[in-house]
Amino acid sequence: MIELHRVWKTYAVGPVKVPALSDVSFRIAKGEFVTLRGPSGSGKTTLLRLLYREDVPTEGEVEVLGEEVTQLSRRQVAALRRSIGIVFQDAKLLPGRTVYENVAFVLRVLGTPRREITGRVFDALRAVGLSSRAQAYPAQLSQGEAQRAALARAVARKPLLLIADEPTGSLDEAMAGEVLDIVKDIWAGGTTVLVATHQATLAATLQRRTLTLQGGRLIKDEG
Amino acid sequence: MFGFLFGEALRDLRRAGRVAVSAILLISLSLAALGAFWLLSSNLGRAVDQFRERVKIVVYLKREPSTAESTALVERVRRMTGVGGVRYVGKSEALGTLKQVLGKDAAVADSLPQNPLPASLEITPTAEGATVEGARALVTRLSALPETEEVGGGLEWMDRFAQVQRLLWLFGLGVGAVLAGAAILTVATATALVLHVRRDEMEIMRLVGASEHVVRLPLLMQGMMQGLIGAVLAVWVLVGCYAIIGPRAEPLVTETLGIARLSFLRPPDVVSLMIAGTLLGGLGGWLARGRSEP
Repeated sequence: MIELHRVWKTYAVGPVKVPALSDVSFRIAKGEFVTLRGPSGSGKTTLLRLLYREDVPTEGEVEVLGEEVTQLSRRQVAALRRSIGIVFQDAKLLPGRTVYENVAFVLRVLGTPRREITGRVFDALRAVGLSSRAQAYPAQLSQGEAQRAALARAVARKPLLLIADEPTGSLDEAMAGEVLDIVKDIWAGGTTVLVATHQATLAATLQRRTLTLQGGRLIKDEG
Repeated sequence: MFGFLFGEALRDLRRAGRVAVSAILLISLSLAALGAFWLLSSNLGRAVDQFRERVKIVVYLKREPSTAESTALVERVRRMTGVGGVRYVGKSEALGTLKQVLGKDAAVADSLPQNPLPASLEITPTAEGATVEGARALVTRLSALPETEEVGGGLEWMDRFAQVQRLLWLFGLGVGAVLAGAAILTVATATALVLHVRRDEMEIMRLVGASEHVVRLPLLMQGMMQGLIGAVLAVWVLVGCYAIIGPRAEPLVTETLGIARLSFLRPPDVVSLMIAGTLLGGLGGWLARGRSEP
């Protein structure tokens, strides 16, 4: 499902080259639930960005869903991303659209037939417990609700892979628990899940395979 | 999918707000100016065509030919390139016409010791012969006839008239082009504004795997909408001005141009204006879209 082979990523800050990832290699099989752990600045977000081809490695190979992402054309990148659900710490909901419209928006831009959209949106909202908040705008949601709405948007497309970058980073413990329960439900439905977090306790709570990054290096692969 | 893209384009148009309104007004202004000059130019063109149909070239003869000679001459001239029709006017017929023109003063002509008017040929050129170049060549050929004393009724004045028509059209095109340039820049600005407002949406669209045309088409479409609305407004303004000014200008038009009334633009011309407006708007949207490429 995901395979990184000796991946390096270096950013140039003026004349100085700053390493973000150094010689990272691992494999994630289909159907796995993996936590990517590490403190802020350890390279988690950089690594995730390589997976959905928002960025390319300086060196090494990144294979996602059977595709070597560095070799993909713009059109192929779009096709790859259609199989990946992405959730961010700040949810990235569109403020001028209701929760329903936010979820429906991605289905519409991907050309989902109109008659299917309502059903799929409500299925996704029910899965995250937000169907009663369908007509609310993002500004009217709590942080936990916003994150659940972002999850609904990601899973409405029935992705093969769910990538969540600090989905509970800005939530209190109770809300974080709710969100993680939903992520586990999504994983139980057959979706491969990769969750990045800086919260060590959270990674421990999940009791799943954990990859630990530090200073851009993969220092531990356990569980 | 088209419904969705259209809906997004409408949403973008609303987001562009006042800048979009400015762009629409500028497009209206440029197309209305272009349309007005077009309208004037086409009416001048009609007048030129009408004059051309009525134009006659007169060949004054050195001496009055006999009946047989005049028949042969008419036949010879009729076979010339650019000649549509030939009529022989004898000296006495010319004098009769002069008397008709003089009316109550016709007695003046009777007091002349002899008929001073020459015999002549009245020539109606073909459409080809009525063009400036055609007429010039025809006059040269007629002047070369041994019977010819002088050739009159050239088309220089019509040449000047046609030049005025072309000048008017070019001037309209120039004014329209300057205004169109301003309109394109304004549409591009409106689109850039929309791009700024839409950047989060576009990021989401790209992250979920939307194709580039789905991401960008609404921008192009909102530009085209601005253009189309501007063109419709321009045509509306032209129709309004034509309805108000047309009837008042009729006496002047008849007097100076010799046509019964000013004609409005033909339906294909109106459609061309609409298409031009839509393309102008689309170009503005496309230019801004180009600047947005990641």
